[in-house]
Amino acid sequence: MTVFKTFWKILNKNKLTVIIYTVILLVFGISNMKTSEKSMNFQAEKPDIAIVNYDEETELVKGFVQYLNKNCNVKEIENNEETLNDAIFYRDLNYVIYIPENYTEEFMTGKKPELEVKSTGDYQASYAKMIVTRYIQMANIYQKKISDESELVAQVNEVLKNEAKIEMTSKLDSNAMQKVTLYYNFASYSLIACLVFMIGLILNSFNQEKIKKRIIISSENCKRHNRALLLSNCCYSLIMWALYVIVSLILLKDIMLTTRGLIYIANSLVFTLCITTLSFLIGNLVNNKEALSGISNVVSLGSSFLCGAFVPVRWLPDFVIKIAHVLPTYYYINSNETLGTMEKITKETMQPIITNTIIMIAFSIIFIILSNIVVKTKRKIG
Amino acid sequence: MENVIEVRNLVKKYKEIIAVDNLSFSVREGEILGLLGPNGSGKSTTINCILSLLKFQGGNIKIFGKEMTPNSYELKSKIGVVFQDVSIFDELTVYENIDYFCGLYVKNKETRKKYIEDALKLVGLEDFQKFYPKKLSGGLLRRLNIACGIAHKPKLIFLDEPTVAVDPQSRNNILDGIKQLRDMGATVVYTTHYMEEVEILCDRVIILDKGKIIAEGTTDELKQRASIEEKVTVEVNNLDVRELPKIKDLMNVLEVSYEDNLLLVTYKDGKNNLVNMITYLKSKGIDYQKIYSERPTLNDVFLELTGKELRD
Repeated sequence: MTVFKTFWKILNKNKLTVIIYTVILLVFGISNMKTSEKSMNFQAEKPDIAIVNYDEETELVKGFVQYLNKNCNVKEIENNEETLNDAIFYRDLNYVIYIPENYTEEFMTGKKPELEVKSTGDYQASYAKMIVTRYIQMANIYQKKISDESELVAQVNEVLKNEAKIEMTSKLDSNAMQKVTLYYNFASYSLIACLVFMIGLILNSFNQEKIKKRIIISSENCKRHNRALLLSNCCYSLIMWALYVIVSLILLKDIMLTTRGLIYIANSLVFTLCITTLSFLIGNLVNNKEALSGISNVVSLGSSFLCGAFVPVRWLPDFVIKIAHVLPTYYYINSNETLGTMEKITKETMQPIITNTIIMIAFSIIFIILSNIVVKTKRKIG
Repeated sequence: MENVIEVRNLVKKYKEIIAVDNLSFSVREGEILGLLGPNGSGKSTTINCILSLLKFQGGNIKIFGKEMTPNSYELKSKIGVVFQDVSIFDELTVYENIDYFCGLYVKNKETRKKYIEDALKLVGLEDFQKFYPKKLSGGLLRRLNIACGIAHKPKLIFLDEPTVAVDPQSRNNILDGIKQLRDMGATVVYTTHYMEEVEILCDRVIILDKGKIIAEGTTDELKQRASIEEKVTVEVNNLDVRELPKIKDLMNVLEVSYEDNLLLVTYKDGKNNLVNMITYLKSKGIDYQKIYSERPTLNDVFLELTGKELRD
């Protein structure tokens, strides 16, 4: 109990670090989720265009302008070259279409006259170009069969009126899953930073040569003392994990209380235990409190960048991903990503997650063995 | 009186170097034993062997009649150690530090609370209970270090140079505390380089050098063993150094030195040395400001036994 109490007293003295990393998780986790909300909802934006007609008000031109009015924001701008150029330059317009003289006449005789355009070259201009091309191509097809201008326009309008309907067969709420994945991916950074730094710091205090000497000469059984210290560290790790899970439950409660949500939680628990063992190793290796701060930053930031906690893995170069394979965070994030895109939870689809879990457990065992070697090497007495 | 510690033929080697060479001694119940010796004489190594912090190659150590091993937890509960380096948690307050180290021995909360209060009182830290170590002066830190080592009321206490770099007020407080511990029945093994502390505190002294005991006894016994019998100091300005060989030739004179206007004459034996010196100075017409005689100190004995050459 004495060790346990002392552990929490030392922790309490450094609680600011825990608070800072938790606030970072909350701020960046929530802002990441908001960003994902925006990026997952697509709505086509109408491009701003202007039409300069040098042809007559023919049925074809009227039909074309009507179609453009429906699909674009057709702006009334003075037909002046300088004004139009300025509008393009200042992005008031994305696209300007010039219908040349005798366009209808030439079109109806099958000559395929060209439309002149001015464009900003951005994606809105490309979209406008796509709208224009679709109408002209359709009109070209029907022009070969229909010689009457009004009939041609009516036919083209009829065809372009039909829109393809896309029905999503997936029942997966990818937007919500994206949020959970982002939160838990980012939580890996805060967890590593909090655990490595705090456990390292506390082990450093207890492992000071002079303090250790006092513990060895005391009537407290050394093994019992170390066991109490280990349990205190595990307790702290579990509390940190529970705190981050509770935050996720508050932010995303509907998803978190599903089977998938529980797998996210279980994955984070395995990861927490793995990082606890890593923190033990670092805490036993490093004897300097100042160095520990730097090391915890390098480990937390390094593994988060390399393994895709901040930047999705799909955007990372191959060599970075190869390096990331030697870090447990990679397997944790990989499981999160798999869970986020997995259509159905079955034995087969869970296989990669199970493999990742086994790898994380293997990492934990390696860290425990290495910690023991370090402790025994340091404990050797004259 | 029973022997609390019995060390027999202790040998400790670091590869080829013999740090403790067939050392045998005992510490009696209720005494304060001063363990003296120059740097590297084997004091700390001996203590570390007694405490099972170091393995040793030969001999045996018994504490309270039982063999001391790393797993002798019952024996360890009766021992308190105050190391030379301040061994405390920077993150804990004065009270919390004592509570932690006392808690390694005393599990009962109420008893521990009382023991902590007693320890705080003994070292005079009652007003600093809630202070963190960073806010304490060097002297207060040393006192906290002592409180952490003795709070569990051990019967045998090892104090390894507890007054290093401490101001005179704190030193007095620490020495009074050690006397109180002895008065409460504790046996104390005290190592220091300050001879005046040994003279004030220790019932018995062991002087170690090169891992061996070179002298043992009470301070008076040790002083008697010294070849110096008396020291006469004369405060005299501008003494002609040619006078020094002549003074050396006077009766019973062992050594003569003159430094910083102080003429120091040591005598191996005899009576009326001071009167003889005054007579000699008058006969030579040498004016002096002060003249006084002293008995040899433990420091003189120590230097005589261990030599004046510098040690590492």
